[in-house]
Amino acid sequence: MADSKFGIISLISDAGPVVLLVLGLLLSFSVVSWAIIVFKFGYIRNSLNESKAFLDYFFEVYNVEKIFAESENFKKGSLPRVFRSGYAEYMALGSQSDLRQSRARIARAIKREANAECKRLSTLVPFLATVGNTAPFIGLFGTVWGIMSSFHTIGLTQSASLSAVAPGISEALVATAAGLAAAIPAVIAYNYFTQQISIIERDLEEFASEFVAVFINEP
Amino acid sequence: MKNGQEVIYTEKKFFLSVAVAAAMHILVIAGAVFFQIWQVRQPLKPKIVTVTFVSLHASGASADLSPKKSGAEKLPAPLPPSPPAPAPLPQPLLKPVPKPIVQESTPVKKRVVEEIPVSKTADKPEPMQKTLERLQQSVAKKTASSSTPSSGTLNTALSRLQQKVQSEGGGGGQSGARGLGPAGTYKAAIASIIQEQWEFSGRMLKNREGMEVYVRINISSDGKIRQIIFDRKAVSQYLNNSVKKALEKSSPLPVPPKELLSSDLWVGFVFTPEGIGQ
Repeated sequence: MADSKFGIISLISDAGPVVLLVLGLLLSFSVVSWAIIVFKFGYIRNSLNESKAFLDYFFEVYNVEKIFAESENFKKGSLPRVFRSGYAEYMALGSQSDLRQSRARIARAIKREANAECKRLSTLVPFLATVGNTAPFIGLFGTVWGIMSSFHTIGLTQSASLSAVAPGISEALVATAAGLAAAIPAVIAYNYFTQQISIIERDLEEFASEFVAVFINEP
Repeated sequence: MKNGQEVIYTEKKFFLSVAVAAAMHILVIAGAVFFQIWQVRQPLKPKIVTVTFVSLHASGASADLSPKKSGAEKLPAPLPPSPPAPAPLPQPLLKPVPKPIVQESTPVKKRVVEEIPVSKTADKPEPMQKTLERLQQSVAKKTASSSTPSSGTLNTALSRLQQKVQSEGGGGGQSGARGLGPAGTYKAAIASIIQEQWEFSGRMLKNREGMEVYVRINISSDGKIRQIIFDRKAVSQYLNNSVKKALEKSSPLPVPPKELLSSDLWVGFVFTPEGIGQ
């Protein structure tokens, strides 16, 4: 009979409403942050791989039409996307002879798409930073509240025995543990994604001028 | 149009990730719970502790000092100094047989060893065999004289106890069960079960006033506690909770006797820091 109530189950079932609320909030934070981690990991990895493959092809061929045709195979890459937007602008220019104006328009289109791509890449990532920063504090709040109510109960029972003090404190500490469990992967993932996104952004910035040159120099 | 489709696709993918993350959390939590259950169900392998028992006889120690054992047993040698009475007995034995291990025990012992031969053996040292015989005789006398009264006292106490039990009608030893038949016996039995399950320390209470809990329990025919009614609670919530927990832990109780099965069985107890009363 006593064995049925122990560990995580008893810690959660015996916890007060505030601690339960905190635990629920942290659980939802953790679920969402892990969803972002899974989603973004695939997204960024695909973007990096396809950009790399596209760049290899780009320097190998150096022909606008061929590159555009090939870029259709790299739907998830950031660099192919930016290149396609530049190509669309290049095609829209038609037979305009003003080279300077054409260059400016293509450069603007490429920059616009590069910005959009950066935004797309970094969407949801700040939530990881939020979880990483706030989850330990939310957990700490739950712990403080749990210890407060635990001491209140101890006062009512007029007993300072370990059996009266320890359960309340251990229940309260679950909240801190949950906060840390939610925050640690979020912080790790945030740092990893930020670094990966900065690599892609640097590539976009670096190759934007290359793309413009390809369109303009093309007879 | 193409952009809209892309957004929908991305959203779908994100919701799929949410579902994956939720499933992952459920798995992790379930895994942790199952791991704990598995750990609890694992049989505990107790540590093997080697314990050496040493019997210490205050008066009988000298009886063991036969010529064969005196040299071999080194452990009991330092013990004789503590009881003052048997001290003279081993001395004649130790003096003629030069055993450095026995003599090196404590400085106190050394002093005693030197004193005794002056009074007992005077100038003539007796042969070893005679000394031993005399020693054994004295030990036999001593043990005989000491065991007789104690066994006699034990026997008289036992007979007195038996008489008492017979006069009281053999009520199982519990005060509440005296002369009450099966109901009393059953009540006493469940009181002892509840007492076993009751985890309470009176030392934790600040004051002892109002520390009485009057409880009634309703026992079903299969021994389960159906209902617990607190007729009077103690001031301390700790005591009240401990009583409640003890009763919950005790369920199911032994099946009530047939005589009690017909009616709705209610049993009352009074819990005080001193114990359970009925």
